[in-house]
Amino acid sequence: MLDAFLAGAHQVFAFDTLIYMLIGSVAGIVAAAIPGFTVTMAIILTLPLTFAMGPLQGVSVMLSVYVGGYTGGLISAALLGIPGTPSSVATTFDAYPMARKGEPGRALSLGIWSSFFGTVISTIVLIVAAPPLALIAVKLGPWEYFALIVFALTIVASLVGNSLLRGLIAGVIGLGLATVGPDPMMGRPRLTFDADMLMAGLPFLVVLIGIFAISQLMGEVEDHGKGKGTDALIPDVIEFKTWAVMREVLMHPVNLVRSSLVGVFIGALPGAGGSIANLLAYDQAKRSSKNPEEFGKGTPDGVIASEAGNSATAGGGLIPMIALGIPGSAVDAILMAALMVHGISVGPRLIMDNADLAYGMFVAMAVASLMMLVVCVLSMRLFLRVTDIPKQFIVPTVMICCVIGAFALNNRVTDLYLLGAIGLVGYGLKSLDYPLAPLVLGVILGPIAETNLRRALMSDGDWTVFFTRPISAVLLAAAVLSVIFSVRSVLKMRKKDRPATDEQDGD
Amino acid sequence: MFRKIAVAAGLMAAAIAGPAQAQDYPEKPIEFIVPWGPGGGSDTLMRIVAQGLADETGQAVPVINMPGVGGNVGLAEFAKRPADGYTISQVHEGLLISNGTGITDLNWDSFMPIALVTSSPQYLTLSKNDNFSNFEEMVAYAKENPGAVRAGVTLAGVPHLHMAMIEDAFGIEFSYVGYEGTGQRIRALVGGNIDVAIGDVSSAGQFVENGDLVFAAVGMPERTAEAPDVPTFTELGHALDLAVTRGVVLPKGTPQDVADALEAHLETVMQNDDVRTKIQNVGSAPVFLGQDEYKAYLGKLSETVNRLVGKLEG
Repeated sequence: MLDAFLAGAHQVFAFDTLIYMLIGSVAGIVAAAIPGFTVTMAIILTLPLTFAMGPLQGVSVMLSVYVGGYTGGLISAALLGIPGTPSSVATTFDAYPMARKGEPGRALSLGIWSSFFGTVISTIVLIVAAPPLALIAVKLGPWEYFALIVFALTIVASLVGNSLLRGLIAGVIGLGLATVGPDPMMGRPRLTFDADMLMAGLPFLVVLIGIFAISQLMGEVEDHGKGKGTDALIPDVIEFKTWAVMREVLMHPVNLVRSSLVGVFIGALPGAGGSIANLLAYDQAKRSSKNPEEFGKGTPDGVIASEAGNSATAGGGLIPMIALGIPGSAVDAILMAALMVHGISVGPRLIMDNADLAYGMFVAMAVASLMMLVVCVLSMRLFLRVTDIPKQFIVPTVMICCVIGAFALNNRVTDLYLLGAIGLVGYGLKSLDYPLAPLVLGVILGPIAETNLRRALMSDGDWTVFFTRPISAVLLAAAVLSVIFSVRSVLKMRKKDRPATDEQDGD
Repeated sequence: MFRKIAVAAGLMAAAIAGPAQAQDYPEKPIEFIVPWGPGGGSDTLMRIVAQGLADETGQAVPVINMPGVGGNVGLAEFAKRPADGYTISQVHEGLLISNGTGITDLNWDSFMPIALVTSSPQYLTLSKNDNFSNFEEMVAYAKENPGAVRAGVTLAGVPHLHMAMIEDAFGIEFSYVGYEGTGQRIRALVGGNIDVAIGDVSSAGQFVENGDLVFAAVGMPERTAEAPDVPTFTELGHALDLAVTRGVVLPKGTPQDVADALEAHLETVMQNDDVRTKIQNVGSAPVFLGQDEYKAYLGKLSETVNRLVGKLEG
């Protein structure tokens, strides 16, 4: 084992590999920082380049794009209030208010360090426990997936903002939007009204960009017109305090480790991924916090939970891939393809047959996270320059990036019309003080829930299986408890806030 | 001024030369629309072919992924592209099935088939279970307990067709569970959530080697080099051809000389050792059938699909 470890490390620490990895890291961060461009896109672009490299070298470069990408989304989330990637939705909740309060440097540093520790923790879990965790992940059937998604849906309660009723409505709208297009089992069109535009459904990323980016940008324009905001998005002098922030992150060890483990677990489940992990980690942090009312107003705990949670899915996703040859996400599937082109069969025998490669990938993960840290810390000042640019330049530029990104996703022009329409809906909902995160959660979770429910009933027509399979039963019980807990805390909070609140829904 | 004259002269020359001279083809990059998402079988194989074609012709061949509705979104877009040889695409059995089940009006003859380039042999793969451990036992068990064997397939997709062919030939009945993609099916098979599925060497080979799964039969005329111990369906009593075959197509109406030129380029690409090795590495076989043979092949396949399509609509 040590031999293989050293052989792998030897290849990763070659000078040219390190240079390529550095470039990959920068590319991943930049791609993810631009709203509308995703990590997956960056990795697809790197794929043909790795054909010419050795297998470990190629995979190392792709891993550094991957790790960089899970951090880059933080930058636009903190500075613009727009998630750069689907996995940084929860980062906007607290990093953006913190930046607005005049601490953009602290928000970025917090996110970067949390991402770094999240990746490191996930890599450790990957090295220590990959085979047993992968075996558990593979045993989970459609019943467990459905129960998990039901549990995940209950976190809407943490995301509702000012009104539980409006939050739930937003969640239901999201679930509804997700049913448009071909049904996930048979490919039969639903709610498409024979329109070509709706034939392929509403792609999740188009919804995400439309809902968050377009509505946020329109909001900026509106503020500007009213003379409410200043010219630059974030005023004030910027302080980084890189090392002080590192200590601050380490002062929240429970949150950091819990969020990372949530990320590892969700990442290891094929098909779930970073877009759920950040929200789930945020929810867990908020529930166990002594001051849940501070979430959403710029608390460091929120930033740490979201960023550690999403970054840890990188290592988590590699667990089933390295242990069993089963990709945890689209990105892992591309990594596998890159290995297979070189004649390496990826499967349960990878660690035995190609030990140096497997251990080399562990080393590469560690190196990639260090590189991400160095690149981010050094370039933070540059990214913060964004805040010096007047709004009339930054808003149209970001808008153009969003449109290009939405198009590049599937190369369909009709997606752009959808983007516009969804953007308007998002703006309308936001103006009416509807929270947007539950809507996005509904769009993410709806299809997974439907697919697994139908799959479970096709496998066995008996409903009771959901309660007789132990893991499924535990998850469903957790969902019930979660709802009870949320209702209780809403009631408690309402009692506490009653004199001050302007609640008008009567819900 | 000079620049303007030069441009005008160039335009005139182009006008005189007429559209798409075959000996010049290709004189600019060729867009390759792959109607599937990145990372899948079609994407990986077609990227290898695209790279080979770019090396052969000296023109870039960028791959554009246009996924959605089982490949039909990309093909619908492709059908609208100019028929000049500078946009090419790829089809496999899935298109014929989508047409048969009424999901799309497009069929293989809505395009100009140019060359069949890869063929991925498919294996009937069994999970480890108490009821059967080889093909004969599985058939016997399924005959005794109709519908008890759970088969993981992409509903109304190629694996569904392959399973229906097995049902039809051996007189048995599966109950179907919908999964998306080979990776998901193999995972469910390893986890014991389904009993049989169609798999291939690249996704299931190591599980078979490890003893977690069993290859019961291969849908090729002869045993494969990768799994020489696995019997063919012909040996087991019925000649079934279960393969996913991918070929390059042009929009209908492309000039014949351009089609011939592309066919010739692809023939050279498919003889390239590097391309062949890469295709084998990802678990497929490099092949080459030219325009006429490929059309004949698709025509015959279409008959099989239409015969069994009723089974796929349930």
